[in-house]
Amino acid sequence: MADFIQNYGFLLVTLVQQSLLAMSLYYPLMAGQLSLASPGFYAFGGYIAAIMATVDCFAPWRDLLGWLMFPLEWLIAGSASAVLAFLVGLPALRLKGIYLALATIAFVEILRVISLNLEITGGAIGIFGIPQLFESRWGYIWTFGPLLLLMLFFSYRLDRSRVGRAFKAIREDELAADAMGINPTRYKVLSFVIGAVLAGVVGAMSAPFLNTWNARQGTFDASINYLAFVLIGGSRSMWGPLLGAALLASLPEILRPLKDSRLILNGLVLVFASIYLPKGIAGALGRLKRSGK
Amino acid sequence: MTVLLDAERLSRNFGGLMAVNNVSFQVIEGEIFGLIGPNGAGKTTLFNLMTGLTPVSGGTLFYRGEKLTGLPPHRIAAQGIGRTFQNIRLFKGLSAIENIRVAQHVRTECGLWGGFFSTALSRAEEKNVEKKARELLKLIGLADRAEELAANFSYGDQRRLEIGRALALEPDVLLLDEPAAGMNAGEKHALTEFIRGIREQFKLTILLIEHHVPLVMNLCDRIAVLNFGELIAVGNPVDVQKNRAVIEAYLGTE
Repeated sequence: MADFIQNYGFLLVTLVQQSLLAMSLYYPLMAGQLSLASPGFYAFGGYIAAIMATVDCFAPWRDLLGWLMFPLEWLIAGSASAVLAFLVGLPALRLKGIYLALATIAFVEILRVISLNLEITGGAIGIFGIPQLFESRWGYIWTFGPLLLLMLFFSYRLDRSRVGRAFKAIREDELAADAMGINPTRYKVLSFVIGAVLAGVVGAMSAPFLNTWNARQGTFDASINYLAFVLIGGSRSMWGPLLGAALLASLPEILRPLKDSRLILNGLVLVFASIYLPKGIAGALGRLKRSGK
Repeated sequence: MTVLLDAERLSRNFGGLMAVNNVSFQVIEGEIFGLIGPNGAGKTTLFNLMTGLTPVSGGTLFYRGEKLTGLPPHRIAAQGIGRTFQNIRLFKGLSAIENIRVAQHVRTECGLWGGFFSTALSRAEEKNVEKKARELLKLIGLADRAEELAANFSYGDQRRLEIGRALALEPDVLLLDEPAAGMNAGEKHALTEFIRGIREQFKLTILLIEHHVPLVMNLCDRIAVLNFGELIAVGNPVDVQKNRAVIEAYLGTE
């Protein structure tokens, strides 16, 4: 067991972390909004945590709070992400479909360029030597793991609640939802904010986990990766992002013996899954379960 | 006799086309008010103006003396005005019962946290939502198919499910856009009885657009006739049938 954790601990924690980021795309999708803004909020939350953990003016806080500084970082990163998401979401969510996706990609790019040029974010070098919460990388399972369980429970309850139903109604037919008394703007922004808060908190947890934080953390590539997680896993079920992230994030590791050709296989999995599993793995499993009854 | 809805010179133009032109009428509480007219007369546009889905170009709609025009659709729905759509707009990827649960949105108030922590309020609300959804499904005759996706229902069942969804709003006014479209004679007859029944049961005022003239004549207390966006006649079915302008609109002039 110790050997296993030694070898695969980092990978497992990464899987959980990637699943959480995939889930942050799931909430806007639940309300029918294709938002790729998650890496932006992930980077934003990470910078907040990294700055709070390294900059001198926070030193008295760190001395005073000890390890409690970490939860405070998550809280502030989450709150700041919520405010930023509200301000960005209100105008951006007037756009539909692919236009919203483009606007959110632009948002991620803007944040990236800003962080490259600000002094407080360390410019191109970024912020390094971020204090650790645990002695080993595996230890971070105790932050990401409970968060994942919490979010699964949150999704479960959301799916069966009034707010979740409003999300789904907007996804199915925004105009009909409006005519049935649901305020589309309100719930679209809410779904966007939920995703952003999750991404922000995951960013804040990831800063110590990765030890350094720089402008490579929130990129267009990451946007596409998380989208692939959700699409392959299935966007109609809370298990979809989890399954997709587990499969796609571990695939490069599993295929490591194949060396360079693994990227080709990785790509093939994406192509075939989108053709043969249009509703993702979760959708296909759901169909199997129903036909088995 | 209380005037429930009061439309004053409602207008809507799409570019140069006057889809609805200075239409004024009143709807009295408890009546079934029919809206007829040839294709393209502006009936559905008028419904869309009344429910806020299309902004008006001019004119005002009052509901119990209060101005409705200018409000977004969800605010109008919350006032107690439910509707169905000519081209059926169910939440097709959701089950029949979920469609009806969704529409109880304005009658419940539980937020994100209430749902997450499953508070006493949320549990009580959910229990009521479930109970009412089952009752309405029974009323529209789909109780045994509650979990089926709305997309899988036949045309007639989808139309009834859409009425059920509108009823879940607990409306005072129900706007039905061609509820009998695509139904056979037997189904049309059953629908007539059904609409009469829900009016009694829920104390509704009903506006309906319908092409099938016998159904309208049989069901409606009063009828308004639209032609090229203009209101050419309002009155009881017998008078409207004899109205010269109406006959000309439908049959042309000699």
